[in-house]
Amino acid sequence: MVLALRCGERAPGAVGSLLITPQWLSQQMPDLSGLTPLGEGGQKWVFAGRHTQDGDVVIKLIKPSGDIERTRREILAVRQISSPRVPAVLDVGMLHSPWGDIIWLRERRVSGESVREIIRARGPLPKEGVLCLGLCMLEALVDAARVRIVHRDVKPENIMRSNDGSYWLLDFGIARHLDLSSLTPSAALGGPGTLGYAPPEQFRNKKRDLDGRADLFALAVTLVECISGRHPYRDGARDAPEVVRRIEGSPLVVPRIAWDPERRFSELVSSMGQRRVDCRPQDARQALEWMRELHSVFGL
Amino acid sequence: MELQLQFGYGMMDHSRVLIRDWGGGTVILSPRDLNPLQLQQFADVIVSTPNGEVLLDPQFYLPYADHERLTSHKFWPAEYSTDGFWSGAEIRELIRKLVVLNTALRCKAMLLPGLYAERVDDDWLARQKLVIDEAGALTDFPLFVTVALGADAVRSDDQIDDILAAAETWEVAGVYLVCEHPRGEYLVTDPTWLANVLDLVAGLRLKNLDVVVGYCNHQMLALACVGANTIASGTWMNVRSFPPDKFRSQYDEEIKQRAIWYYCPQALSEYKVPFLDIALKQGVLSRMVPPESMGSAYADLFFSGVQPTSVGWSEQTAFRHYLQCLWFQTRSSRQSTFEDTADAHERALDVAEDLLATLQSVGVRGQLRDFRESIDVNRAALSVIRSTRGPVLRRKWSNL
Repeated sequence: MVLALRCGERAPGAVGSLLITPQWLSQQMPDLSGLTPLGEGGQKWVFAGRHTQDGDVVIKLIKPSGDIERTRREILAVRQISSPRVPAVLDVGMLHSPWGDIIWLRERRVSGESVREIIRARGPLPKEGVLCLGLCMLEALVDAARVRIVHRDVKPENIMRSNDGSYWLLDFGIARHLDLSSLTPSAALGGPGTLGYAPPEQFRNKKRDLDGRADLFALAVTLVECISGRHPYRDGARDAPEVVRRIEGSPLVVPRIAWDPERRFSELVSSMGQRRVDCRPQDARQALEWMRELHSVFGL
Repeated sequence: MELQLQFGYGMMDHSRVLIRDWGGGTVILSPRDLNPLQLQQFADVIVSTPNGEVLLDPQFYLPYADHERLTSHKFWPAEYSTDGFWSGAEIRELIRKLVVLNTALRCKAMLLPGLYAERVDDDWLARQKLVIDEAGALTDFPLFVTVALGADAVRSDDQIDDILAAAETWEVAGVYLVCEHPRGEYLVTDPTWLANVLDLVAGLRLKNLDVVVGYCNHQMLALACVGANTIASGTWMNVRSFPPDKFRSQYDEEIKQRAIWYYCPQALSEYKVPFLDIALKQGVLSRMVPPESMGSAYADLFFSGVQPTSVGWSEQTAFRHYLQCLWFQTRSSRQSTFEDTADAHERALDVAEDLLATLQSVGVRGQLRDFRESIDVNRAALSVIRSTRGPVLRRKWSNL
């Protein structure tokens, strides 16, 4: 779909004089109604709305200055994964504007809260939440691994708890397709990812070592944060280098969990959170098998 | 876990007798210690022993060294230069000749030639892959890639990780691992070295690769805790630890007079016979009797009431006693679970520590072969494995 951008329209967020407002967007996309801004990042604007055919959706608009190739890969990644734990991409298109091309994606909207919002509002997750999150995320990672996708940004902000209590993995914006050449220069000191969640092989940009086990590490850190309400590496750290030192210098400490007196769940988390790739479960499928056994042990 | 015999100087008779007494077993043949005719004849003897088997270690660790015995074998390249050899035709020819030799010797699997790595780097890894690919195209033998590591390489987490990452692409049945001891120590006192050996073996086993660890002594009983299939050991110290220099030197230089040692299996230590006299004087000799279950009658005379130094304790007896005890210890080292195996090893360390304290307190010392300095090394290494690999080993133990 090619849409014209109207000059002079005002909206929150800007690229030059380009401002995106719900009103402007609904004019460009008449099939959408009830558009509300969900947020803006360095690369994109995100809106929620209702589509005449698809129902509740999220619209992501990639800023003209954004990385087109990364966006293309995000779309490719999510479409290939085809997972019940990842919101489906329903349609993609482009708006041509005097400021450049704006790629848009329309995704199925998951209604609920991000895990970050939950932790902020209500503290650590209860046992059922932790176990359910772990299971759902591993299912998502198995689906990603099946098509050789590494998410590379698993963290509470990118996990949504839907109203039915299940968990969804969002935002494949920096996902890496292992069969495609890397977009990050090899000489770059750090690979893409969020400090504190990315494992050493990711933030050291060791491409040869990067595979789905990087996501297991990030999930382990996320689970510890869900259990304790605190980030095991970032909380209390002076600066980014200290976070790096903590990750590389100390094992992931899984706190004592009242509902896990024999530390069975802790062992899985500890195993996924090993600094060295080879010490983690061999892949997401093995971790998922382990998690399913634990669900059975804990009566879920 | 199984014990294989690491052939070395003077081991023909030991091998024949022990393989027969054990009802079978494997000898890892050494071209460095057997000329071509001896190699064939000896292999024939072992293979014709009930359940006797052989493997051939091509000992291609330092191919630029002109070790006279190694170069006497047909498979050894007439010339070796790093640039030319690895380009294709020459390595293919080496492997072809080794296939012929392995077939003639009736080896049960083929140990591939592997360069000694002071440092694991991309070149070394590429050559490993090349050897595997060439061998895979030339033979149906089950293949074991040789990983020969310098002490510093073993101590490096990154280099161990590089090997494990590469191993995911190795199309082989297993790995023949030989690791140089730091500082030439017989019993290693560096916990990082041992922890990394355990970790490397664990990582390889979890990738469903069989692992044979060569040039071992009894300190390597710890490898049962990570599912090693086999350790190999022998008589002289130069087959109980891997010294790369052994493959540089001239053959005659190595034949030296050695002291004769008594191995006390429950102490994990060896003693010169005069110290057994001290043990008798001090009333603790009875604590050094090997358990009857070990099946070694070789040392019975020491405990018959006479002064140990008056007993005819020969090198031959000492070696057979050591290998007999080690054979039993190896075979009983693995339990049905990871936890039980690790706990059993720790209990053995506790028993040894207690006994060594008693013996030391009355002046009975193993000197350089006293395990006292290594007890905490084994404990530390095991503790690291429990932390890093324990949960996975626990789950996967029945598959290892």
